[in-house]
Amino acid sequence: MKTEFRCNPPEPLEPIPFDIPRPFETTLDNGLRIIIFENDRLPLISYRLAFNLGDINDPVDARGITSAMASLLSEGTQDYTSRQLAEKIERLGASISTNSSDDFTIVAASSLSLYRTEILQLLAEIVLTPTFPEDELDLYRRNTVEHLKFQRSQPNFLAGEQAARLLYGEHPYSKVSPRAEDIEKLDRQTLIKFHARTMVPNNAIFIVVGAVDRPEFLAEMNDLFGGWQPGTPTVEKFASPPSRTARTLTIVDRPGSAQSNIVIANLAIKRTDPDYFPTIVMNQVLGAGASSRVFMNLREEKGYTYGAYTRLGAKQLAGDFEATAEVRTEVTGASLKEFFYELDRIRNETVGDDELADAKNFLTGVFPLRAETQEGLTNLIVNQHLYGLPDDYLQTYRENIEVVTARDVKRVANLHIRPEEMAIIIVGDAEEILPQAREYADSIEIFDTEGKMQDEAKYVVGDEAETADVAGKWSLNIDFQGQRLPVTMSLEQNGSAVTGELETMLGNGKIADGKVTGSKLVATARAEMQGSPVEFAISGKADGNEMSGTITAPIVPDPLSFSGSRQA
Amino acid sequence: MSEMFNLPPLELEEYSLGNGLRVVLNPHAVIPVVSIAVYYNVGSRNEREGRTGFAHLFEHMMFQGSENVPKAGHFQHIMKCGGTMNGTTSSERTNYYETLPASQLPMALWLESDRMRSLAVTQENLDNQREAVKEEKRLRYDNQPYGQIFDLINEMIYKNFANAHSTIGSMEHLDDATVEDVQEFFRIYYAPNNAVTVLSGAFESAVAKDLIETYFGDIPSQPLPPELDVSEPSEVAATYREWEDNLAPFPAFLIGWKIPPRRSPEFYALYLAGKILYDGESSRLYQKLVKGEESVIQLFGFTDERRGPSSIFVGAIPKPEKDLSQIRETIMKEIHDLAAHGPSSEEMEKIENQLVNDAVRMRQSSMSRAQQIAEFALYDGDPKLVNSELFDLLAVTPDQIRHAVGVYLNTDNRALLDVVPAGKG
Repeated sequence: MKTEFRCNPPEPLEPIPFDIPRPFETTLDNGLRIIIFENDRLPLISYRLAFNLGDINDPVDARGITSAMASLLSEGTQDYTSRQLAEKIERLGASISTNSSDDFTIVAASSLSLYRTEILQLLAEIVLTPTFPEDELDLYRRNTVEHLKFQRSQPNFLAGEQAARLLYGEHPYSKVSPRAEDIEKLDRQTLIKFHARTMVPNNAIFIVVGAVDRPEFLAEMNDLFGGWQPGTPTVEKFASPPSRTARTLTIVDRPGSAQSNIVIANLAIKRTDPDYFPTIVMNQVLGAGASSRVFMNLREEKGYTYGAYTRLGAKQLAGDFEATAEVRTEVTGASLKEFFYELDRIRNETVGDDELADAKNFLTGVFPLRAETQEGLTNLIVNQHLYGLPDDYLQTYRENIEVVTARDVKRVANLHIRPEEMAIIIVGDAEEILPQAREYADSIEIFDTEGKMQDEAKYVVGDEAETADVAGKWSLNIDFQGQRLPVTMSLEQNGSAVTGELETMLGNGKIADGKVTGSKLVATARAEMQGSPVEFAISGKADGNEMSGTITAPIVPDPLSFSGSRQA
Repeated sequence: MSEMFNLPPLELEEYSLGNGLRVVLNPHAVIPVVSIAVYYNVGSRNEREGRTGFAHLFEHMMFQGSENVPKAGHFQHIMKCGGTMNGTTSSERTNYYETLPASQLPMALWLESDRMRSLAVTQENLDNQREAVKEEKRLRYDNQPYGQIFDLINEMIYKNFANAHSTIGSMEHLDDATVEDVQEFFRIYYAPNNAVTVLSGAFESAVAKDLIETYFGDIPSQPLPPELDVSEPSEVAATYREWEDNLAPFPAFLIGWKIPPRRSPEFYALYLAGKILYDGESSRLYQKLVKGEESVIQLFGFTDERRGPSSIFVGAIPKPEKDLSQIRETIMKEIHDLAAHGPSSEEMEKIENQLVNDAVRMRQSSMSRAQQIAEFALYDGDPKLVNSELFDLLAVTPDQIRHAVGVYLNTDNRALLDVVPAGKG
């Protein structure tokens, strides 16, 4: 048959080498390093002025100042107001943004190359002459304090906060966010002094990518930044992260949560570690993507969650490995079991050839996709220089992936995944989580969402508690953005086991494996949407013929509370 | 501004296979990446009364497997190569696209040709995807605050059924569909002679042509689909409707105007008028309503670009205690002012820079190039328009904008939809 060649996926063509030329480098007299990547394929230009200054450099008495400074740079300068700056930038069809992270502060500008001089002048204006106007600072304080409050309602934030504390101890990577009182006491004079001290040329790299004329550009750089006075960047000594010797369980109690947010973490590698490439290949096999092991197991096979992943956070000074998933409360323990199964398996068994090849193909395949746009290419170059990666890093990236062997994968898995000393953090209903998760850890601590430690005994439900009768038809109302949406839940009960049906506006779901403990009902209703299974996680508390609790639906990030009564 | 005119034209090669499949190649070997865009000339405009929602249902069916690709196999194959993919449906067309490492060009062509040639239109897949579409409708339209307002206002603006009905369609119509109806729809509209395939990125034209012939060449052509009439009377007839939205937390309104088709001089002028009115923080309405009066939480506007009569919208979600009619007056006052005096020279400078900036950035990624080329090839039969449209837009004068705003926007001939929160909570 003529069509036989169609039966199997075709072989790829000969790969095309992806050559990124090396950029030109120079340094101004004041110590500002300049990296020029000439690329005239399109009349565009991207600038990045990146400081080796991150949130970890916040003074202990002025936490949050680095990120406040970055945000306020474009909110008023010596010559222009916030609004004038915005208008000048838009008039050019251009954009400027300013941001800080743990390790770095980056000012980014991009425009047509036609306006390369104008946008460079505006960049210099906001970096060199910001005035931190009192009214703009006031607005920043109000918005940020609101945002910090909002963060505490987000389970991901609460889990990340605990993971950072447990892994990094006294090291500043342990602080993922300032506190409201830190932000409220930020004042203009402190910002002005901090800016003068830290945003200095000999602590920065200036990177330009695009259609640029080198001599002309260097002359402009000298004009705009030549008079910028160097400072004395302090090389800070940070405490080492603690070494861990036991597996711990930390629960952040959110009573009524229908989901458990699980993070399982240990320290791993910093960005410049020689194991970087084998470790990202290992992580790809294990859990970085939607065809990785952890996802295939917890989501595709077990249906515990919409997504389960592993992640490497490789920063400048240290790094961590995390396995994460948001699972239905009643499968919290079962999910831990599967996670540890996969963590052990990648350490003990040698990865198969096909699986290794898929992971490497993915990583080498997406690499050029990331360099297609100028912004994407610029980000690759900026990261290379900020982390001090080798000069040929981008040129040899794909080779470095390709040479990773199954033995390498096993070796780095054993080095950088250490199940016996991992921190397990679970955000959810502590009373439900505790009996399921207890056996996976050597010690237990429980916090509320404000970060206050709680007494464990408070969450232990006695075995003698009487199992409530929840059988019957319940008319419930879900509170959704101020609206009350009716749902009906029909339950049958056999001892503590519950089955039944949930009827909602989104469709009807079957309840197969619900459970009553004392007065608490935990159950999952399964429906189908767009051909995929969809789950509504139910967590209720019965009080006679009344019931209240939460339902978590896939489309809505937060659990929705409900209440209602049993039909007579 | 002389420098911007140095923008080199994209290299294009267009031809057709024996079965009528139109192909456009845009070899562009800067980065070793290739994108494929397959555009079928079928959208909701092609649906008959009693058969709405079919075009979109089909987009779902196209991921359900074909003779040699299992269900969900499409996604898996692309992922394992390090690629990205998707598909979408509009009134005008249904499109499918992938971006892959350049060496994986055969994979892209194999996947796209296998479903064009042998899609698994089975009862099981139909039932399954019909339910999936119903869930999508509940999720994205019925159960979203403001989720139905654009479908509602289109019904107010357009009089011709082909233009007026929604892409998501009627669930009763989908229920009525038999597997034979769906097979027939596939045969007519998913024929090679009703599609355009565009490649953009790093490939050798000769190699690509051979592969395209190998994979697509033996897919049989079909009689062309029936002719379509999308003509409209110009009046909208000052329609007004109040819509009770159970999920909307705040009142909102949407104003819509019927305007001439895409690529007409009037459409271009009104597209630019829209930028002046609502695009970005220095736009007129943003400065008046979000900054000056501080009366709205959110302001939005856009043009809906069609081959037939098109439309332009402005909408707002006001802050709680603000007067809606006052806000609409401010909007109409700015429109009146633009119709009387035209745009300022500063506004013209800004939109020129934004147009050039947008055009240059579009050229960076193989996917956005492939999609733009496919649209011009499918709608206009002329992919070269991708190289000239910027200049048509830049040629629009302030007086053309002033005139077009006067004729098409500064008028009572518009639809107004008021959204009233109706939750019982």
